[in-house]
Amino acid sequence: MKRAHYDLVVVGTGFASSFFLKKYLSKAKPDQKILVLERGHFYPHEERLKAKRKEPTDYQKYEEPWEKAINNHSTYKKWPFTTGLGGCSNCWWGCTPRFMPNDFKMKTLYGIGEDWPIDYDDLDAYYYEAEDLMHVSGPEGTPFPRVGKYPLPAHEFSVVDKILHRKYGNQYISQPTARASRSTVGRNRCMTSSTCDTCPVNAKFTIENSNLGVYEDERVELVYGAQVYSLEFVGDMVKKVYFKQEGKEQSIGGEVIVLGANPFFNTNILQNAGDQNPFVGKGVGEQLGVQVLIYLDNMSNAGGSTWVNANGYMLYDGDHRKDFAACLMEVSNAPYYIRLERGKYLNIASFRLLFEDIPLDDNYVKHTANKFVPDVFHTKRSDYTFKALDNMKQKLPDILSCLPVEKLKFLDPFPNEGHIIGGTRMSADPKLGVVDKYMIHHQYRNLFVLGAGAFTTYSASNPTLTLSAMSLFAADKVF
Amino acid sequence: MDRRKFLILTGVAIGGVAIPSSVFFVSNSVKKYAVLFIERELDYLILEPGSVVKYVDEYFTQTNNLLERVKWKAMYYLHVGWQKSDQILELIKYYLLSSDFFINKMDESKMVKYLGLYSPYKSPVPNPFAYTLHPPSEIKNG
Repeated sequence: MKRAHYDLVVVGTGFASSFFLKKYLSKAKPDQKILVLERGHFYPHEERLKAKRKEPTDYQKYEEPWEKAINNHSTYKKWPFTTGLGGCSNCWWGCTPRFMPNDFKMKTLYGIGEDWPIDYDDLDAYYYEAEDLMHVSGPEGTPFPRVGKYPLPAHEFSVVDKILHRKYGNQYISQPTARASRSTVGRNRCMTSSTCDTCPVNAKFTIENSNLGVYEDERVELVYGAQVYSLEFVGDMVKKVYFKQEGKEQSIGGEVIVLGANPFFNTNILQNAGDQNPFVGKGVGEQLGVQVLIYLDNMSNAGGSTWVNANGYMLYDGDHRKDFAACLMEVSNAPYYIRLERGKYLNIASFRLLFEDIPLDDNYVKHTANKFVPDVFHTKRSDYTFKALDNMKQKLPDILSCLPVEKLKFLDPFPNEGHIIGGTRMSADPKLGVVDKYMIHHQYRNLFVLGAGAFTTYSASNPTLTLSAMSLFAADKVF
Repeated sequence: MDRRKFLILTGVAIGGVAIPSSVFFVSNSVKKYAVLFIERELDYLILEPGSVVKYVDEYFTQTNNLLERVKWKAMYYLHVGWQKSDQILELIKYYLLSSDFFINKMDESKMVKYLGLYSPYKSPVPNPFAYTLHPPSEIKNG
């Protein structure tokens, strides 16, 4: 570290931190001093590709198995995530639908959970900005309010997509995605490989290929291998950040502190620091994902230009959310779903159905005697979610009645969706959450706690675009 | 083949572990029946001579389900097909994905040639559904 004290100390380099910094740097004075502490290292995409090709690379030593970074106490849940520069941008699959406006008002409209202290309109301008920064590909005409074209054209439909779009209009759209539909700055066109965690052709937005410019900014000092584990509270302020680097425990001072690690570690840092807020660590979870294979009679489902071609909203919003969860359909044409019957190889479609869940106290993060490795407990799904699963199984045949369906095959629920949500929930009332609408801690007013941990409720939609927009919003409104 | 198994086969599963090559030893008998399965299930295709053997050799260096393998001989003689065995389903699906079958637009009159184990990171075989093989101009309105 070049200094003992910084204007801003940021923990983590994933979406939440990077988009926050992008906006902050656009407003900060030229002499501002910013320290970024990243627990991992820079593992370039080119080197990740070598590892996938089983070629030697010195960088593979930087891969940190998620199973060793947390104590996962669930028998049915997995929580894959990536550490290092760019965080989970290195393993996400690039799905960027916006939330629906009603996702922010679950209590008022449906009597479920709590309302967010922000709404769709608050985030609208920042959604556009995040979409521009990610060069999102998407259609004109969406189920959520959005005017104009996306930065890149929509991906191509398959045969099944065309039929469903014709029937359902903007309730069935080409998926808005950060998997490029055209070559763009720093990225190639998606080749539909369906192995998006490490994109074979670098078509997916990552922090590394983003051209955000935040870590090249002269005001920013980026330190790798620095694992933050606690904070020093003095009164209602954070004075220091504690971390370990190269086996040595250290601390650094800051005027403003930003926790942008994933929800498990943001929670762990707060608990280690002695935060007594009862909601810290509570209600962690994610959507429930179930795959259904749709066998088609005498219809090839060829076409499509990315892994998830389309999103269906036919089971998403409405009064049913008083009783059971929203469901977002992700429609994909992945190579592993080809059929083997002679002449029917491509006569299949596959839907991944994402069901929102609600934050339950039974699902939580708890710091341990090992200050670096928290316990993660996920002990149950809500009945609200399971009822939606049952409803989907009843409704889907009718929804698909415009297709020549031979049979439907439902697969077992996935153990993960790659979305870690909750643990530092946002609330208007300090008694009902950890952070306020700007993701500033209700008690420690120089502390931001960013990311999907701040979501008040989960939504059925993929979280990354929304958490990125929230970071832009917070930095814009506060500085 | 589900997504998880596919990711393991293509070497991209998150949190995968390195497995010593000695673990991959498979008897010639097992490989023989794997070849026979493919040839029987795809008997309507013209398979390039020797290519299935080469594929099976390479396939078994990438998978690690030893317990299931020992049943293959029995499954072959009991006429168990891919409809009842995920192992056989995966073996045959992965063979087609590793060949030029989809590049040739599933033309059964053309000889099927093995191009190397399917991998988005190495092989020339694209997603069989996608625009690279089926450009938008060819996609009907359904």
